[in-house]
Amino acid sequence: MNMRDRVLTTLDHQEPDIVPLTEMSIDPPHMEALTGLKLEGRTSLQTQMSANRKDEASKIEMIYRCYRKLGFELIPCEISAPDGWDALKNSDGTITDEWGRVLRYASVTKTWSPFRGIFRSPDDFEKFALPDPDASGRLFAIQQMRRLVKDDFALAAFIRDPFAYLCEMFTMEKFVQWIYEEPQFIRKATERIADFNVSIIRRLREVGVDLVISGGDYSEKNGPMVSPRFFREIVFVNLRRQVEEAHRLGVKFIKHSDGNLNLLLPELAQIVDGLHSLDPTAGMDIGEVKSKYGEKLILIGNVAVDSLCRKTTEEVAQETRECLKRAASGGGYIFSSSNSWFADAKLTNCLAMVETVRKYGSYPIRVL
Amino acid sequence: MSQKEIALKGVKDAFAEVVGTDEAEKRAQTALKSSVSPTEIIQGLREGLDIVGQKYEAQEYFLSEVIMAAVMAEKVIALLRPSFAISRTKALDRIVIGTVRGDIHDIGKNLVSTMLISAGFDIIDIGVDVPAEDFLEAMRKNYPKIVGLSCLLTSGIEEMTRVVDTVHGAGPRSGVKVLVGGRPISKQFADSIGADGYAANAVEAMKAAKDLLP
Repeated sequence: MNMRDRVLTTLDHQEPDIVPLTEMSIDPPHMEALTGLKLEGRTSLQTQMSANRKDEASKIEMIYRCYRKLGFELIPCEISAPDGWDALKNSDGTITDEWGRVLRYASVTKTWSPFRGIFRSPDDFEKFALPDPDASGRLFAIQQMRRLVKDDFALAAFIRDPFAYLCEMFTMEKFVQWIYEEPQFIRKATERIADFNVSIIRRLREVGVDLVISGGDYSEKNGPMVSPRFFREIVFVNLRRQVEEAHRLGVKFIKHSDGNLNLLLPELAQIVDGLHSLDPTAGMDIGEVKSKYGEKLILIGNVAVDSLCRKTTEEVAQETRECLKRAASGGGYIFSSSNSWFADAKLTNCLAMVETVRKYGSYPIRVL
Repeated sequence: MSQKEIALKGVKDAFAEVVGTDEAEKRAQTALKSSVSPTEIIQGLREGLDIVGQKYEAQEYFLSEVIMAAVMAEKVIALLRPSFAISRTKALDRIVIGTVRGDIHDIGKNLVSTMLISAGFDIIDIGVDVPAEDFLEAMRKNYPKIVGLSCLLTSGIEEMTRVVDTVHGAGPRSGVKVLVGGRPISKQFADSIGADGYAANAVEAMKAAKDLLP
């Protein structure tokens, strides 16, 4: 079975020949080790750092070669910055992106992460020109990846959830404060960012993708970051708009979130087509989710990232077998870690996961 | 109940119910006018935060309520500050806090800092991505009683171990205690690396820090 067909069969809740694999991302040190290539330019897991197309094309090539070498059937690819854009370099060494998020560099992961925004008040946001989804160059990365993968791999467009954008643009402290003090502003801000995503999803018909994945966490270890009521009234209303646009495109919509999603699951299961992470260290039980929602939700996960960092290869292989045992039967399951291959994950453990899936992941699943 | 008792209860309830900053400040002002001392107001605030912590554990409240309660606490403490002096040289109650090297997340650290300030501690925040040597330097400069370590990423675990060893290696006479917390950290892990204290969340950190002091 062709790798893309394997994923498409899985997305149809059918059993393919073998469980497909993916990862939402692999940190640069691992990609460099696996491909022998060097990543040029700045990179971030949450945003675009520039529209230097030469660097971006090299990065796409590296991701493609890495995923191909690993035999991953599904390759997620992010949205690009528009043509001619570059991040604003600040005097303190930080960088501001096109969403007004300020990023700093983490030497261990070799990536840039947002830690605050430029918005001191709701007025600042009202006056801010949000990025233009229709700008030229937005689909550069996906177009590049489409040319590389052809019909051999499944391709997913990776977008970011409005909830995550707002937490990062405002900081959690201001975001929460404005939920209390300016609830209508937060409602409208969420809608504006969802508008961006809806337009981006609509544009995906220019290039053709097999799946849309939305990144950005809703929960932390203890549960949802804000009340289920806020999710219901603000976040999910706008999530549904994005999902519907993906369905109009003829593709499914997977929601990523770390943390404990159990309080949100009943409603989330009505909206999205699948979930990624299913973070076991936060109390998510992939077997339980499969039994309750497996006919509706495609599941992607869930060997703990903590395990990749701290456990032995034998322990990781055992966890991998457990995932297959609990989630793979009946199809609708794509294997991955519970987040991504962090720089601090032992590469030997990551590869042990892959090897274990190849050994035990053939259908019908026979893991004892 | 007397006017004073009603006003003090109002402060406690403001925090327990996470009413927002304006209302919290209003109730603190009312309490001051009703002859409630700043110290008593802070005590009411802490009792309210304890309830926030309990409701958070029970999933009646979420991270948003904990954050909002911390924002309210910052505002009320700032309001009360002119009413009593907090000496920054009072080393007995000083805590150096930072996110360990390799991790640039600060939300947990910032929440804990606010809670600890409301609990009466003097906080020296040395930021994020802090190597062990910088924790040691901050200790030498500020003479804290406690060093607080935060991390969100699993990658911070090994670094946390290194900092604990460095702090304790500064000499048994230094007497500095190490308090740890963060998403990948468990009580079991904290014990295994020789940390003196552990807090599962920002509200627990207040009690954990007090428990570390003689």
